[in-house]
Amino acid sequence: MKNALKITIGFLLCLTFVYQSEAQKQTPPAGGTPKDFKLPEKKVSQLPNGLRSTLVQYGAVPKAEVQLIIKTGNIHESANEVWLADLTGLLMKEGTTTKTFKEISKKVAGMGGNINVSTGMDNVTISGSVLSEFVPELVRVIADLVMNPALPAKEVDRLKADLKRQLTVEKSGPQSQATERFFQIVYKDHPYGRYYPTAEMIDSYTAEKAKNFFEKNFGAKRSVIYVVGKFDEVEVNKAINDSFTSWKAGAEIDFPAATPTRTNEIAMIDRKDAPQTTVILGLPTLTPKDKDYMALQVTNSLLGGSFGSRITSNIREDKGYTYSPYSTIQNRKGVSLWYEEADVTSEHTGESLREISKEIKKLQTENPSKEELEGIQRYMAGTFVLQNSNPGGIISQLNFIDLHELDESYLTDRVKNIYAVTPEKVSQITKDHFKYEDMTLVLVGDKKQLDQQIKMHKDAQKLK
Amino acid sequence: MNKSIKNKPITMIAMALLIFLGSCDQKKEEASNTFKVPVEYYKLKNGLKVALSQDKTAPTVAVAVYYNIGFRIEPKNRTGFAHLFEHMMFQGSQNLGKMEFIKLVQQNGGILNGSTRFDFTNYFEVMPAHKLETAIWAEADRMKGLAITQENLTNQQGVVKNEVKVNVLNQPYGGFPWLDMPQYANENWHNAHNFYGDLKDLDSAKLEDVDNFFNTFYAPNNASLAIVGDFEIAEAKQWVEKYFGEIPASQLPPKPDISEPRQEKEKRFTKEDKLANKPAIAFAYKMPERNSPEYFAMGLIDQMLVQGEDSKLYLALVQGKGYTGGISGGINYLGNMFNYSGPMIWMADLIYDANVSPDSILFEVNKAVGDIQKNVTQEDIDLAVVKMRSKLYDDLGGFFGIGRADMLASFALFDDDPSRLNTLEDEFKKVTPELIKKTATEYLRATNRTILIIDPKAEVK
Repeated sequence: MKNALKITIGFLLCLTFVYQSEAQKQTPPAGGTPKDFKLPEKKVSQLPNGLRSTLVQYGAVPKAEVQLIIKTGNIHESANEVWLADLTGLLMKEGTTTKTFKEISKKVAGMGGNINVSTGMDNVTISGSVLSEFVPELVRVIADLVMNPALPAKEVDRLKADLKRQLTVEKSGPQSQATERFFQIVYKDHPYGRYYPTAEMIDSYTAEKAKNFFEKNFGAKRSVIYVVGKFDEVEVNKAINDSFTSWKAGAEIDFPAATPTRTNEIAMIDRKDAPQTTVILGLPTLTPKDKDYMALQVTNSLLGGSFGSRITSNIREDKGYTYSPYSTIQNRKGVSLWYEEADVTSEHTGESLREISKEIKKLQTENPSKEELEGIQRYMAGTFVLQNSNPGGIISQLNFIDLHELDESYLTDRVKNIYAVTPEKVSQITKDHFKYEDMTLVLVGDKKQLDQQIKMHKDAQKLK
Repeated sequence: MNKSIKNKPITMIAMALLIFLGSCDQKKEEASNTFKVPVEYYKLKNGLKVALSQDKTAPTVAVAVYYNIGFRIEPKNRTGFAHLFEHMMFQGSQNLGKMEFIKLVQQNGGILNGSTRFDFTNYFEVMPAHKLETAIWAEADRMKGLAITQENLTNQQGVVKNEVKVNVLNQPYGGFPWLDMPQYANENWHNAHNFYGDLKDLDSAKLEDVDNFFNTFYAPNNASLAIVGDFEIAEAKQWVEKYFGEIPASQLPPKPDISEPRQEKEKRFTKEDKLANKPAIAFAYKMPERNSPEYFAMGLIDQMLVQGEDSKLYLALVQGKGYTGGISGGINYLGNMFNYSGPMIWMADLIYDANVSPDSILFEVNKAVGDIQKNVTQEDIDLAVVKMRSKLYDDLGGFFGIGRADMLASFALFDDDPSRLNTLEDEFKKVTPELIKKTATEYLRATNRTILIIDPKAEVK
């Protein structure tokens, strides 16, 4: 072992010598000229019952992703029905009027895939990704699931037990606790503010309730089927027409309007002896329909939304207070929030907040340099290409503009619009939409520490 | 319940599938037989292994450098050092100061990350295609040498300690079972120590440790480079030679013995978790040697036992008995069945309710295993092969080229043969019902098993 050490030290000296002789630092090679990027072409059609379909041929891998996205979800639950949508989604997987769970899962496995039913706030998604030759058959299976689900009462107790277990486990994590409280404060008694049910609520659900939820909220008018990848277009269109034409039109799209609350409330949740504090700091912000939304996104990327961003550079790469800080814009239908989330060392909770406030204030008072902004703009343009370079990403972009009723130009002009944002605009957006003194703060951590640490936040709030 | 708002800045944007080359007129079985990925493989004079694979689906390119140093063989008094060192590779080199590497990639429209695994540490970026030369230059630059200050080291010690806190110490089921199980199942220190590291060991790391580690392991003759995407082979080769060609090889230390003895007795452990409020169980079996016929059989057994909702354990434990809402499992929780080189475990885990006894779960596991030891048919194998093929396409086509680059770099590093990725499907097709039975009988023995149970100590609110 000693010998090996000597060898490596000798090698190190040699290296140092070689590279010191090159006095000047090398500049990275700039690279060539950008290649063309066009959004993949889509084919859109609609059945008489209102179901829309969007087909995109993409890539060369002999697989395709199919997603039926229905504009319903937790948004349509009432106050004592939280996660009833989830139970409904789980029940839909338990077989149809003609096929058992086992038959369906084996059949789809034989296509090289799985069927997923995922319940979100504004969307329920029934999806699968299978080998190309089976895509038309997968479309038929999905149609059967959404049109003829058995919703079997005998499975309800088991699924409720699963949901209760999941609830208990999720609520033991500090990030989930912080998230639940943050949305409660901002969205109050709107469904967006109801993140978790109580165990008693889940106990009260029945097959009947799930069936009612299903009947009321699922139908062709609220739905779009996306097929992206390599597939036989004629066969897939035929499968969509054959299997979905008789689906009931169902209810119109209907999202109960939400009004987020702007409040500088501080919420603390005690987590005894926790080595870190989970911080969520944020406020309501512009929605994707706003003309300044692009400028808001650029500002977010520069401030906290990318690894090279100012907040991350500061509290992670300079101070070492945290591992995974990030900021994001979360969009629900008609409303949006901006927030920064980070798990910071308990004893540096106050300093972390002070540094975040400093970065915000600085961007409010000084325009970013052109160079820094251009770097962020190139990053956003580059990641936009990546987002559109895989079937799941393509569907997610298309569903985004559909859900938020945005013009096609949101995607087609995106790169151009990214580069149109100026340094002055970023500063102005920060002034108008990132007022530290207006932000809601949620802390999950050791209360003994937090009572002390919170002082720095209160001082930071007073700075104008 | 996809409401999780976690979204870490350096992770990739949409973890979905597919970028690929090949024929698109697929006719069931025939399609798979003709489906190949182009691979160009060669070595530089200094020993660097280079694997290139074109894919012009999108105007992007993935560049990945894999060093043959994972946490298995990190120094014994420096647990967690391989991973801490991974962080140092972003802290500055001869030509790029702190944050400059990250900014170089992001400001050119790319994404990047690094990770530490059992047998390698990797660094990769996905860039717009026309920035390939920039990426090659930057990876070569940090292979040439680092310029780390005490300040940077102290900073990253802080970051890594926070990483351990957020992923393990302040998290219910933190480290379960991915970090825990190797420590219970394995006997050899190399396979059985805490890979994230004791906080004390992390704190005691010094600048000279960083230098020694770099000079011992971070050399071209201990690395592979994979490039996947929209680029020209000749041009890429020129840049690779230009920027990596002059980096001197190093004298590598002899490889320590990382072998595990044959397990002869079932082991069972209980770990208290003061943050968790539901019990959980993981069970692990030692794997057959990598690339043996039994290893490929285990790949299919994994599909039959735990992958997908048609799998035996899903049908028994989730759908049948309702002990849990979901079960995870697989070969190598820190990667997949291809990207490691050494002893490995097959494992599965689930969270359940306190009124269920672990033995009733194990009863179902034994039943499923017994079924595989006795009753596997060719039809079962065909189904497992289809699932495997579909999964392979995702691996080879997904993550913007990073999935394919991972296989190329791993197979170059461990087997000196990246084109192996085109033969995997055939290896799985060779598996017979007899081989499955034989493999299940030897490797899914209860005496080859380690069980870890989480005893939850948090109050249920």
